[in-house]
Amino acid sequence: MKELQELARKLLTEGTVKVVIGYEQGPRGVRPVFVTDAADCEKLIFDRRCVTNLATYLNPRRKPIAQLGKAAIVVKGCDARSVAGLIREKQVERDSLAIIGVRCGGVLEDPEGDAELTSETVSVRCGGCEVREPKLHDYLLGELPPEPPVNPRRNEQIAALMKMSPAERRKYWDEQLSRCIRCHACREACPMCFCVQCTADKSQPQWIDTSATLRGNRAWQTMRVLHQAGRYVDCLECERACPEHIPLGLLARFVADSVEPRFDYVASDDPAACTPMGVFRTDDEEEFIR
Amino acid sequence: MTQQRFLSHEGLVALVTKLVAAGTQVIAPVRASDDVEQVDYRPISKLDEAAFGVRLPRRPLKELFLPPTEVLLYYRQTKDGVEISEVPTNARPRVILGAVPCDAAALEVVDHVMSWDYKDELWFARREATTIVSLLCNLMDAACFCTAVGLGPESFRGSDVLLVPSEGGGYVAYIVTPKGEALLNDSLAEASEAAFAAAEAARSEARKKVEPNLPSIPAEFSQWLAKNFNDPIWKTLSLRCHGCGACAALCPTCHCFDIVDEHDGSEQGVRRRNWDSCQTAKFTMHASGHNPRATQAERFRQKVQHKFSIYPSRFGEILCTGCGRCSRNCPGGMDLPEIVSELMAKAQAGPEVNKQ
Amino acid sequence: MFPKIVAFVCNCCTYTGADLAGTSRLKMAPNVRVIRLTCSSRVNPLFIIKAFERGTDGVIVSGCHTGDCHYSTGNYYARRRFAVLHDLLDFMGVEPNRVTFSWVSASEGNKWQEVVNETTERIMKLGPAHPVEAQQEGEAQ
Repeated sequence: MKELQELARKLLTEGTVKVVIGYEQGPRGVRPVFVTDAADCEKLIFDRRCVTNLATYLNPRRKPIAQLGKAAIVVKGCDARSVAGLIREKQVERDSLAIIGVRCGGVLEDPEGDAELTSETVSVRCGGCEVREPKLHDYLLGELPPEPPVNPRRNEQIAALMKMSPAERRKYWDEQLSRCIRCHACREACPMCFCVQCTADKSQPQWIDTSATLRGNRAWQTMRVLHQAGRYVDCLECERACPEHIPLGLLARFVADSVEPRFDYVASDDPAACTPMGVFRTDDEEEFIR
Repeated sequence: MTQQRFLSHEGLVALVTKLVAAGTQVIAPVRASDDVEQVDYRPISKLDEAAFGVRLPRRPLKELFLPPTEVLLYYRQTKDGVEISEVPTNARPRVILGAVPCDAAALEVVDHVMSWDYKDELWFARREATTIVSLLCNLMDAACFCTAVGLGPESFRGSDVLLVPSEGGGYVAYIVTPKGEALLNDSLAEASEAAFAAAEAARSEARKKVEPNLPSIPAEFSQWLAKNFNDPIWKTLSLRCHGCGACAALCPTCHCFDIVDEHDGSEQGVRRRNWDSCQTAKFTMHASGHNPRATQAERFRQKVQHKFSIYPSRFGEILCTGCGRCSRNCPGGMDLPEIVSELMAKAQAGPEVNKQ
Repeated sequence: MFPKIVAFVCNCCTYTGADLAGTSRLKMAPNVRVIRLTCSSRVNPLFIIKAFERGTDGVIVSGCHTGDCHYSTGNYYARRRFAVLHDLLDFMGVEPNRVTFSWVSASEGNKWQEVVNETTERIMKLGPAHPVEAQQEGEAQ
């Protein structure tokens, strides 16, 4: 994408940034790239195959990246929400970033694919997107593509699960979660899991078993997803990272669908917006409280 | 010295039936229940449940010998002290049918460390109780590089028998070990010269499909890695790595584990062995709070060093079978053939002053 | 003894209310184990998950009425958290009726009695909660 490559080249040669975090063609589909040399800017691309959320790389714990210097990061609207979240939660300073927003018409479900966008190939999270033009940006590139097709698969899965009895749902989740091997790839790939000491790492006492038993797995996945409440951007990095292909996006989407209507909130790309779990209204619903 | 015989399809069907009836667990690649395009190693009760030649199984054989979590002992505190009950170390007889050669070879590679300073009873009980029948692999893609690490899709390494499909049905069976002989003895016929020649041709054809992916890794590479521990390339190569450990989970040769005690109530508990990975941030965290591998660059370097330098210098072979699962599943787009190529190119470019 | 019910209660209101129920000699089912916390906001959803994990059949979480929290805003934050947890437990297959949330003030000994007795009866009807045993080790599947 010429516009993007030229902007990156300009930012690097002028010394405005030291690294551009973007997407490139890898040996197996599109992947993240860290361009430090203006001559390498031609590697940068942006299209429907740019599925991953690059905001994970802004985590201050990632010292080799932080040491490169001030970064420019290529974001879709959804990724900009992660960046806003990191700024909001004081992990990253707004001034330390140059945010290159790119207008987006949806991305593929399969990060290695290159099919055209249809209701079957598009990612489940794209339908109805309200941030195709990222509002958090220093530069805004690209033409606004048409609205992405809607992939109903995930909503259908959640609806099907909610039609089941609690016992059947429990059986479904027991089957899925018994496959979890506690590699914690979901946590490492998630842009919002930036805690230096994760609650699962605490061993005195060991609140959450580290062993890959169903008992420990249920506690781990439930807690991780609860910690996403009000911070979730639906990037699905966790699902892509999971070596056991557990449908983690179902859990997290469910929690988001619970938070959003209750507290009239959708993950925002405005760093000044408050996360719903950190505020309250005196008239919040309490239909479930006796 | 392998012998080549012939195993008919009917012979194999009958063998599976006989094994299952005798209580031996038969495990084979099977289409996955959550995605029919994918294949997992699963127990079967009849040969037609198996899906040979469809796709590389998503996960290697490792978990059948070293489970993601297993109990080592049970303990109970009594007023007189602590009672410990150990777990049984005998294993149920099993046959793995249709293993991919890279997965079979991995087991022999890991045997070294499992018998190094202590013979791991649980690992070897399962190893001894299991007979492995591999199948010539034609499932290779651009992520594979078994030939570069001294193996191949036609390799006998780690297998008790290697089956090569024969035109017209059945297999030429290469009997590699006495265990393989004992398993198939009654089911075999003589292999004709033509069948044998065709099988040999198939084996070398398969090999040719993988060789272009990565040239053979020379012995000097291990030494170059050791000498260039501080090279800045470790940082640049690892920037996109999340340190998620999915690679280690899927790797047939990664074997690091953590041991934990899990209390249940106030008097009893279990001691468990759980998979762990050097890629996780706290893998080398000391009790003092110091972490010698505090950044992903150092952890990533450790992975490459362990697999391609430290393990070879200790045990004489690379801790990798070139199966490609790490590359295929990496959420950050790391690609091991690409990484090894870049490192080898740097090694071949000649000595430099590589100091930080 | 079935059912096992654990109650996480706040120190200032519900615990005092429960105390009042006791000193007033109100008859209550004996199945509830009370755990006193500083405030309902101290209740980490992890406590509830762990309670079920370790064999309880039901959980009560109780605090001051909104507007009356000793720390002024604790129960408002807790209310949001409990709402999300309540929905998620349902999604994961834990019957929502197994967890009772209530506001019980220091003077509501009677209300505490009702909460305890109603919850115990409800859990008895639901049956044991199938505590999740650590997976039996053996052959990998």
